[in-house]
Amino acid sequence: MNKLMDLAAAMAQIPDGAMVGLGGNTLNRAPMAAVMALAYQGKQGLRLVKTAGGMDVDLLCFAGCVSSVDAGFISYETQYSLCQHYRSAVQAGKVQANEHACYTVISALRAASYGIPFMPVRGLVESDLVAANEYFAKVKDPFSGDILNAVRAIQPDVSIVHVHMADARGNAVIEGPQYDDILLSRASKTVILTAERIVGDGYFAASSRKADIPHFMVSAVVHAPRGAAPGACYGVHGVSDDELHSFLALADAEALTQWLTRRHVYA
Amino acid sequence: MLRPCDMMAVCMARLIRDGETVFHGVSSHLPLVAVLLAKQTHAPQAVHLNIPGGVDPQRPTLEAFTSAGGTLLETAQAQFPLSEVFDLSMRGGLDVAFLSGVQFDNRGGVNASVIGDYRKPKVRLPGGAGSAVLIPTAKRAIIWRTKHDRRTFCETLDFLTARGNVSDIITPLCHFKMYAGELILHSIHPNVTIAEIAENTGFPIRYLAQTTTPPPTEEELAALRDIDPLDYRNLEFR
Repeated sequence: MNKLMDLAAAMAQIPDGAMVGLGGNTLNRAPMAAVMALAYQGKQGLRLVKTAGGMDVDLLCFAGCVSSVDAGFISYETQYSLCQHYRSAVQAGKVQANEHACYTVISALRAASYGIPFMPVRGLVESDLVAANEYFAKVKDPFSGDILNAVRAIQPDVSIVHVHMADARGNAVIEGPQYDDILLSRASKTVILTAERIVGDGYFAASSRKADIPHFMVSAVVHAPRGAAPGACYGVHGVSDDELHSFLALADAEALTQWLTRRHVYA
Repeated sequence: MLRPCDMMAVCMARLIRDGETVFHGVSSHLPLVAVLLAKQTHAPQAVHLNIPGGVDPQRPTLEAFTSAGGTLLETAQAQFPLSEVFDLSMRGGLDVAFLSGVQFDNRGGVNASVIGDYRKPKVRLPGGAGSAVLIPTAKRAIIWRTKHDRRTFCETLDFLTARGNVSDIITPLCHFKMYAGELILHSIHPNVTIAEIAENTGFPIRYLAQTTTPPPTEEELAALRDIDPLDYRNLEFR
């Protein structure tokens, strides 16, 4: 089955209010082309899931697409500093920040991938996060009687992952760091891939390097070279300093729309 | 002229013992450089763990925009990604985790979450990343913070992201250590006075002995320049 489609058609499959897992880590291999298309399409009420997000989360908050963010850390890291649009959206009460430890996002995704409703986790012994968030609860070990913390499963409706190589059916390879993307693919109801390169149908059968994400988990494949820009894509390109600064300098929603429109046209 | 970033990197590196498993995460150029420095000097058998999952990267090219990029994996010998580093800590196998935050009390509490109310914050901070699970489970959580003022080191936290096994806190002014459940002044960096530390700390300063942090040696400074020629250890001060 050929799942190749253009970016706009793939993003149109994602309804308002969907829970969306985002691949990559901070400015590393985040699915930025897809994120910009979501913003361009004016999605509403997206519930984002990521261990450590950056420009992806910031841009979607800026565009008013987001109702909640489940993550351990949201920042551009040190050089490009804090996610100001995420911060102000949370501070204004427009976006609910569901703070996790990165590991509790991983544990929640594991629970979903294992088909169980929650996952016990160590840590969180003394933390206000437990009382402040309804997705944490105490759970009793039925064997020893010990009390542990548990995190509720997170099953994204869809995860968007930018990959180095995919075939038209959705078999895909990620080179270099995979971050939590393989787990995201297993935990989510479906996966949309954006790919640097599309390979032929027989490619993986003939290669000793098999796909990391198998086709049956994937519902759409988009050919999107530089699909992680202005962030970095391992082995392909680094960050685009000029573009990052042009985004960070945008004053308001109107300027963002113009910036997105320009990107969209050039894409 | 001794730069705070060099003093901090050296101070953090010296806390790593040979053979220990050591993890740092995102926004962590100073710990990244400190781990590489320790491995190049007194702790060659320390095990360097990181988010992209490269175990013991060899002379990685550092990147300004991230401390969790692909160069840490491509120069490594084995893969052990973030999820497995966490698992290791949960089962008691992680010796050192380098973490940061925005507020610290004198009982080892860390706030990296919010200033003000959690649901309607005055300031939403980036979040604790791994802190809430690593601080209680790693054998030692070493904190670094490049700001040392009364809002950072305070009597009462706005929010407790984590408390647990904080062992040391390194700042541009000094090295604090946890001692019997209390954060005490362990050593004062060269060219800093105890009055300056007291003035910039929101809780009373207590110490067992007034000592000065040994300044970086020529060998340590040369190793720093070799490991980090583009001076990313100074990013947080720029």
